[in-house]
Amino acid sequence: MVSLPHRRRTESATGLLRAARHRTGVRQPFSRKQLAWDAVTIVNALIGLAVLLAVTVALGVLVQWRQGRPRRHIAHEVVEPGRLGAESLGATATLLQFSTELCSRCPGVHRTLAAVADGRDGVRHLDIDVTHRPDIAKHFHILQTPTTLVLDSDGVVQTRFGGVPNRDVLELELNRLTGETANV
Amino acid sequence: MSDRTDAARPTRGIDPRGPRFAAGVTALLLLVDVFLGLTTPIGATVAERAVEPAFLLLLAIALLFAWGVLSPRTAPWGVLYRVAVQPRLKPPAELEDPRPPRFAQGVGLFVVTIGLILHLAGVPWALPIAAAMAFVAAFLNAVFGLCLGCQLYLVLQRAGIVGRERAAAA
Repeated sequence: MVSLPHRRRTESATGLLRAARHRTGVRQPFSRKQLAWDAVTIVNALIGLAVLLAVTVALGVLVQWRQGRPRRHIAHEVVEPGRLGAESLGATATLLQFSTELCSRCPGVHRTLAAVADGRDGVRHLDIDVTHRPDIAKHFHILQTPTTLVLDSDGVVQTRFGGVPNRDVLELELNRLTGETANV
Repeated sequence: MSDRTDAARPTRGIDPRGPRFAAGVTALLLLVDVFLGLTTPIGATVAERAVEPAFLLLLAIALLFAWGVLSPRTAPWGVLYRVAVQPRLKPPAELEDPRPPRFAQGVGLFVVTIGLILHLAGVPWALPIAAAMAFVAAFLNAVFGLCLGCQLYLVLQRAGIVGRERAAAA
């Protein structure tokens, strides 16, 4: 006696559900049209994923290709060491590195540049932390750290490296600078 | 000669491959989430949108990001790396400052949270787009070792949003 109304309610509930499905046009789970629609959605989504993956890989390759390549023909400027908190520049060349606290590659580049500077007479390595000096970052248009500028003996910016500089290229740049001073 | 104007060398560091491993796992999860977001149509009500698999997975990713910001030492993928992966590898050539990866987790949390909120508000495509943006950052970190967080930090700093000039700095 007690269970009768309960059963009736459930029966009417499934009936309502079926009617609602019928009205709203929701198809049965395994109809052919539904499967075809699902397949199209999945294929579209997979195409979307493939495009996303391709764009990401292309971006990564492009950024990595640009990183560590020297850029010359930059707006020449004479860097004054006093403004950066250093007493003097190197006698023949200065490796001016810009770092931030939140920079995973800066310590490694610091070690490389320090080793390069130690191996050559008259070459000085300066590492400027621009974390709390947005004025310096703005002045040198630094959008990524590490950024390394190669200065000649007069403090003129000769070469700019964004990202991790290639050590061999860096040595060549320094050879060029020391060769120039030797010829003069 | 080598000088550093702001002496703050890290005394102890972390294995740099740990965050890259975690970024790889995160990138995989985000890719699955983009797929789910593209295949499931956005729900009509807030309650419906809040139980969609794409939303729930992105919520889980957001909580993992938050874990990585609050307690990087105990974050699951870092622990998995130290327990299961690191013993099989050679010791790291150099250690890394733990702060940049932590900052990157915060950037990921920020992007993903915006996607979750817009999705709940009923904005179509917000969830897969946010997941895709986070995926790009995580993938570039895992595969190429590029630190988008560092670059973003500098851009924000130049815009004057973070890292204002210290009063003591002359």
